[in-house]
Amino acid sequence: MTQTPEDLGQKIKAARERAGEIPGPVSDTPPADNQGSAMGQGMRVATDLAAALAVSGFLGYMADKWLGTKPWIMLAMIIVGFAAGILNAYRAQMGKDFQVGFKKPDNDKNDNGNEGNK
Amino acid sequence: MSSNPLEQFVIKPIVPLQLAGYDVSFTQSALFMVVAIVAATALMTLSVRPKAMVPGRWQNVSEMFYEFISGMVSDNLGHEGKKYFPFVFSIFMIVLMGNLIGLIPYAFTFTSHIIVTFALAATVFVLATLVGIFRHGLHFFSLFLPAGLPWYLMPLIVVIELVSYMSRPVSLSVRLFANMMAGHTMLKVFAGFSVMLGVYLGVLPMLLNVALLGLETMIAFIQAYVFAVLTCVYLKDAIELH
Repeated sequence: MTQTPEDLGQKIKAARERAGEIPGPVSDTPPADNQGSAMGQGMRVATDLAAALAVSGFLGYMADKWLGTKPWIMLAMIIVGFAAGILNAYRAQMGKDFQVGFKKPDNDKNDNGNEGNK
Repeated sequence: MSSNPLEQFVIKPIVPLQLAGYDVSFTQSALFMVVAIVAATALMTLSVRPKAMVPGRWQNVSEMFYEFISGMVSDNLGHEGKKYFPFVFSIFMIVLMGNLIGLIPYAFTFTSHIIVTFALAATVFVLATLVGIFRHGLHFFSLFLPAGLPWYLMPLIVVIELVSYMSRPVSLSVRLFANMMAGHTMLKVFAGFSVMLGVYLGVLPMLLNVALLGLETMIAFIQAYVFAVLTCVYLKDAIELH
């Protein structure tokens, strides 16, 4: 199988892009967390909701113990935790990969140094 | 032999040790953690001894794991995420080996304890948070303050985002723990049915257990993969703040 110098050049360019020397198009395919059986997805949503409720309830309980205002802060935090759990589960299902924050990605092509994170 | 399906998760010390009043015995959970680490290390080091260009079977397995995690890290974290590859790979191999070795009869699944999975998830969470703080300074907390919100909504949204951020290690650990514990409990329950139904009818739950063991093997791989993927995602969130 003969390879022309152009083929070799393409392969070198592809390898260099993979190694990150030349910025290539950034693949923003989300990690495939939405695959799997329906029961797996259901468990994911359920654990998200339960975990957020547990964390917020615990935080509220600690705040109550510190400030002595049982049980109001804990109740308020449980409502907040419910919202946070739904938010997490929604983001996971929409494929937003548990992103925190509403910011869209600053850049989809990292060619003009607009990253602002360095 | 007890037929209580939850009795398999009881921790039994093998070498009782005490340190300053704390019980630091070497338990069967610790033993299987050592077995998992030795298995993972042996798989990755001994199998590439031949260093063949056309890999044999074991070297192929080793290379498959490496490339799989390497691809996942570079997909999620980009080129500069390569420095996190050893951490993600270690997490993946520990969880995978823990899950798989637990499927051997009479072995113990150390990932079926919430304290173990929570320790792993807390390590990931603390690492991602520290990486974010050291990289961005206090600007890291802009992660919780989205842009373009009316001022009266901001406190509530910040609290919700904070809770959502802190519930991620909990959900990460509970996912792995619940899957492993449920799987092994189901195996024990159906095996108990086999014992109860006798020799002839007892074949049916046994066949179900055979299928269930296959499902559990698949779940072992999937849960290790999900754990590693979410580790990458949390690191990416901390590095890129979105």
